[in-house]
Order: sequence, then structure tokens, then C-alpha cells
Amino acid sequence: MQDLNLLAQDNRGQSQLENGSGLVGWDVVTRGSILTSFEGDATEIVNQKSEERMYSNYNSYTASVASWRVEKPVFNIDVCIDCQNCWVWCPDTSILSRDKQMLGIDYDHCKGCAVCAEVCPTNPKSLIMFSEQTALDEALASWPEKKKKEEK
Amino acid sequence: MVEIRWHSRAGQGAVSGAKGLGDVVATTGKEVQAFALYGSAKRGAALRAYNRISDEQIFNHAKFMHPDFVLVIDPALAFSDSITENEKDETKYIITTHLSKEELIAGIPELQGKEDRVFTLDCVQISLDTIGRSMPNSPMLGAFVKMSGMFELDYFLENMKRVLSKFPQKIIDANMDAITRAYNEVK
Amino acid sequence: MAEKYDLQDREVWDGNFAASQALRQAQVDVVAAYPITPSTPIVENYGSYVANGYIDGEFVMVESEHAAMSGCIGASAAGGRVSTATSSQGFALMAEVLYQASGMRLPIVLNVVNRALASPLNVRGDHADMYLGRDSGWIQVGAFNAQEAYDLALCAFKIGENHDVRLPVMVHQDGFITSHTAQNVYPLTDEIAYNFIGDFKAVDDMLDFSRPVTYGAQTEEDWHFEHKAKQHKALMDSRPIIDEVFSEFEKLTGRKYNRVESYNMEDADVAIVALGTTVETARVAAEQLRKDEGIKAGVVAIRCFRPFPFDEVRNALENTKCVAVTDRSSPGGAMGAFYNEVSAALYTTANRPLVTNFIYGLGGRDFSIEEAKRIFTEQQAHADAGHITTDIQQFSGLRGPHLGFFQTKRG
Repeated sequence: MQDLNLLAQDNRGQSQLENGSGLVGWDVVTRGSILTSFEGDATEIVNQKSEERMYSNYNSYTASVASWRVEKPVFNIDVCIDCQNCWVWCPDTSILSRDKQMLGIDYDHCKGCAVCAEVCPTNPKSLIMFSEQTALDEALASWPEKKKKEEK
Repeated sequence: MVEIRWHSRAGQGAVSGAKGLGDVVATTGKEVQAFALYGSAKRGAALRAYNRISDEQIFNHAKFMHPDFVLVIDPALAFSDSITENEKDETKYIITTHLSKEELIAGIPELQGKEDRVFTLDCVQISLDTIGRSMPNSPMLGAFVKMSGMFELDYFLENMKRVLSKFPQKIIDANMDAITRAYNEVK
Repeated sequence: MAEKYDLQDREVWDGNFAASQALRQAQVDVVAAYPITPSTPIVENYGSYVANGYIDGEFVMVESEHAAMSGCIGASAAGGRVSTATSSQGFALMAEVLYQASGMRLPIVLNVVNRALASPLNVRGDHADMYLGRDSGWIQVGAFNAQEAYDLALCAFKIGENHDVRLPVMVHQDGFITSHTAQNVYPLTDEIAYNFIGDFKAVDDMLDFSRPVTYGAQTEEDWHFEHKAKQHKALMDSRPIIDEVFSEFEKLTGRKYNRVESYNMEDADVAIVALGTTVETARVAAEQLRKDEGIKAGVVAIRCFRPFPFDEVRNALENTKCVAVTDRSSPGGAMGAFYNEVSAALYTTANRPLVTNFIYGLGGRDFSIEEAKRIFTEQQAHADAGHITTDIQQFSGLRGPHLGFFQTKRG
């Protein structure tokens, strides 16, 4: 008989890895490196609102990029005309709108790119960029007045 | 061999800092290595950069290291990233923060009992005051020069000017101010 | 005339920058490229050198790596000095055209920044792309650090363009570990570097209107075999010319390259055979084991992967007791390809050392000094026992239960 695996240790080299501890091994990872988007049966998700869906931990919906932001868009419902321009232009589907009614910003997924504020057509704008630390009520309290025509 | 690990967010200049440090160190005749572990390389994402400095050619290409210095240039990462990972008994920490050293350590259990190896300064504020925007890498170099004792400040500044020579004089001067202020303020 | 580039005697460059500086000093006429991580800066820098007047050349933008190599073939056949860079999926897409380049005997220099092949998608370094090119008829040389990426790129032009060789040359470096790691690099002056390579001497060029030629003719069973045999012979015969170029380079720089590099091998009982940056990390481990534990450990590195240095591998390893051959590429249902090649060489020695195979570092997984030491120590145990005490093929640095295959058949 051979003394197989005399020195072959399990997890060889693993202690040397950064960010490696606590992750599963080759015997547990999925076949074909597939990722499931939802927990359980997803047949009905088309009829569910996003907050009702059972997103899996692999779904980017459950990850946040909030910490990447330097500035955030603030939404002022009093000025908004529900034109949906921001919803169309947002590259990260972070404008929350339902039945063409603007609801606000998804601050978990907004990266602060300011495209929404740029394309907002109202006067004054209904979306304005404020520094990340600014409180929402403070931002709303400092909302600019409507610009008169000759000022344009 | 001196090994250094930088904790930063993409865009704060840890990679440039590590390479700039490498550039200066190389002029002294030492051998250097500067590399980074990128996550998703977008502005704001956490990343780590590394330096090795030695009198002889550096053959070790492993990312793994027991750092002699941990340089944290993002104030929040001191709390959220495992900055003490793979530390040694003598690992020194230089952390940018607006908090006092005591307040900072109170918030980071892993640093407790290591007060004599933790050094702080506010690299973000220093860079805002001198360079005019948040560029905490230059001040961190000044703090490292002080705490490592590897170079005289004047010698480091002289060589850093050469590394930055492609930039306008105004930017070079601002960086020199940032490095000098950090050298004097780190404690 | 090209603009003067400001160079220091001692620079701190990463592997990509180093390779791009070699392209500048070689005054490459044409780069046709489709940039891909992690090799992008090589061709990006070439483009900027052209735009800023440091090179009198042309950067050709194309729609894919397949087209990039096709463009290189056109420019090379026309009679220019030609180079490009790629990695991973780009290399895979280039694969078909690589065989055309070598079959047409065009001395193109391809800088390959080694990266894993999908799926799963991964941008970091392993040798899957390099292995994909191993039967393509190119000369393949490997750098272990940024300095060597620069040096070997210079040598590659001189080797490939030699009229007794006339073969394309790949210069490999490890993705990120070399390509994005800045280290001290000691460049040659522009004049010395260019004179070392020399002017491009066109032969059979399509722009020679006194003697129009066709490249890539069709040959069926009546001719194909002879052409491929001649090509293989040319690859085999390039060995002394590679040695000659390395020796000339040593005279110029003091930096000596060999098709097989041996470190601490004079009296070694156990050895690691490796490619790329792993070589240098393993060297550190061997030194430490010799000093601390008295294990006679050594490292053998293949500098020139193609033509494969069968003789030199035998010379380097025949007196060892146990050899671990490391493959940084998923073996796809076999022993590692590198293991098979080294084993074949060692099978024809009288001593026939024990040979084991480690699969490691896939997708950029770190390879540490500790891991190299563990492999050495294990080889010492095999040597002491007189037989291989573990599976012949094992995975190193892998999470999960032990994974290994095949045992020695004994008695």
C-alpha cells in the first residue's frame, strides 16, 4: 500500500490567501459557475413589484454602491412634472417610478453620476445634486427659486 | 525588506502613491516593487496597493505579505476594511482621520493595545488646504517618511519634485507643502 | 527623425510600460491592435509614442484580435517591423491567424500578457493563453519580471528577424503580477538598443516590385507536409541563434539569459520547475529552505518555452531525486502539459527522477513563498521514501477538500 496523501494537506496554501477564508471550496461551487437571480420559484416575478421580489444574494439588486457616491441627487416632488426623462436616462435604473408617477431615488444603487439632474427639464429643477453628507430636509429647504425668463 | 500595504479607494491615489514612493526609493539605489489589488476598478471602490523595498533585487512576486507599515488613506476604510490583516507584532499603522488618535482607536477594536504603533493625521484636510482637492496620497507619503525614518525630509522632497516634474510648478509646490505639513503633523 | 525620449539609467516601470519602451526603441513600423486587459497599455503607449513623434510608425485600429494579427501579417509581409500585444480571449481569437503568421515565416513580435481564459470570466494572470499557442509554430520566450519583459522584447526582434530564423516570436509576461507591478528597470539608451536589434532587413517582401510574391499559397497532401517539416526544422534550428542573441545581449548589459535557467541546481536533490513570476518566488523559497532546513532545493525555469529545450531540461534536472513541475493552466482532463513535456525529457535520462505535477495559481490565485516551501518539503519526502508518496497530480492553493489524481504503479 502506498502512504497516499502523507503530506498533502487539505486547504493547502489557503492560509496565505487574502480575502479567501470563509469562502466555499471547489466541491461546493456551482456547476458552470451559474448564479441564481431569485430565491425559490420566480414564475410570478413579472407580476411583483421590485420590493416584493425574493432577489438572491447573487443578484446585483442586493448589493449597494452607495459608498461610491460623492454627491447625491435630491428629488423635489413639488416641482416634478412626472415627465420620466430621468427614468429614461438613469444608467443604473435608480429612479423609482411607478405608473408614471415619480417616487424618488434608489440610493442603494445610485452612483451619483448626475445625469438625472442634467436632463430634468423643470424650472427650477426637480433633481439637484447635493453633497453626500447634506440632509434631505436641509437640501429641500435650500431649493432655488424659479428663474425668470430674462435671467436665462 | 520593508513591506507596505495601502488601504484606499480607487481615485484617492494609492496606486500613484505606491508608484511615486517606488520612484523616489529607486533613486536611492534601493530596489522597489509597487503593485495593487484592484476590485472593480471604479472610482470609489476599495482597493489595496503594496510596496516592497529592499537593498537587493526583489524576487518575491506573491501578493501575500506581513506588512511592516499599513497606510490607510481613506478615513472610512479604517473601520470597514480589515486593516490589521496579516499584521506582525511590530506593524506600524498610519491612518488618515479627523478624529483624535484616542477616538479612532476607541472605534476600532483591532487596534486596541497597539497605541504605540498607531499614528494619525488628517490627510484629506491637508490635501484640501494645500492641493485644493481631496488627494490624500501625497500627505501620506510625508507621514511615512517621518514614521519610517527611511529618508531625510529634504532629500525626499527633492526627489519627489523630479517624479512630479511633468506637472505644472503650482501643483508640484502644492504637493511639497502637503508632504511637509503631513511630516510635521503626524503623531 | 523621431523625437528624443527622456530616459533615466534607472526607471521604475511595470511590465507593460517596459514592453512598450522596447517597441519604441525598436522603432516598430506598424502595430495593428485590438487592446485587451491586461496588455492594453503596451499598444496604448505605442499609439501615444507615434502621436507624439517618438516613433515614425503607424498604429492601425482594427475590429478584433483576429483582424489585429491579420493586419500584422499584411504589414510584415509587406516588409515592415511589426509588433502587437494581446491576452486571454484576444489571444484565443487570434489563434487561427497565429498559425498563418508562423506558416508564412513572418517575424512579428507578439507581446502576450498572460491571462486566464473564460469561463468563468477572469482578467488575472494564468498561463492558459500561453499554452494555447504552444503548437502554433511561434518562438515563445517568457519574462519573470518587468526588466525581462523589456530585455526579451528587444531580443525577440533580433531573433525573429534573423534570416536563418524568420519566425514570429511571442514574449510572455504574467498578467498583473508583471504587467502591473512597477519594479526597478535599467533600460538601454535608444541608440544602443536600436543598434543591438539593427535595421529591419526585408526579405521576400511584397513591396519589392522587382520580385512580386504571393504569401499563403494552398498546399494539399502533395506539399503541405514538407512545408510544415521545414517550419519545424527552422524552429529547432533557432536554438543556437537564440543562444547567440542572448550572449550578445549579455555583452551589452551584463544580463545573461539562457533558454533554461537553473538556480541552486549544482547539488540539488529536489527541484521546482516553473514558468513566469513563480520562478522567482520559488527561488526565494529554495534559498530559505537551504539556509534554515538544509534541504538541497533548486529551481529550474524555462525561459524559452518553444522551441522546447529538451536537452537543457535533461541537463538541468537529471541528477535530482525528485522534481515538481508546476502548471498554471487548467489541464483539461490530463496531466499538466508542462509536466508531460518535462517528464518526457526526464524519461530519457539514466537517473529518471521522480516527477510530480502541481496545478496552481489559476485565475491569478496567489502563489506564496510558504506554498513553494511546502512543495519542496513534499518532494524531499518523496526523495527520502524513494517513491512518490502522494497523488502524482495535485492542486495547490485550492479551497476545498484535497484534489489529486493518479498514483505510481509499484510492484
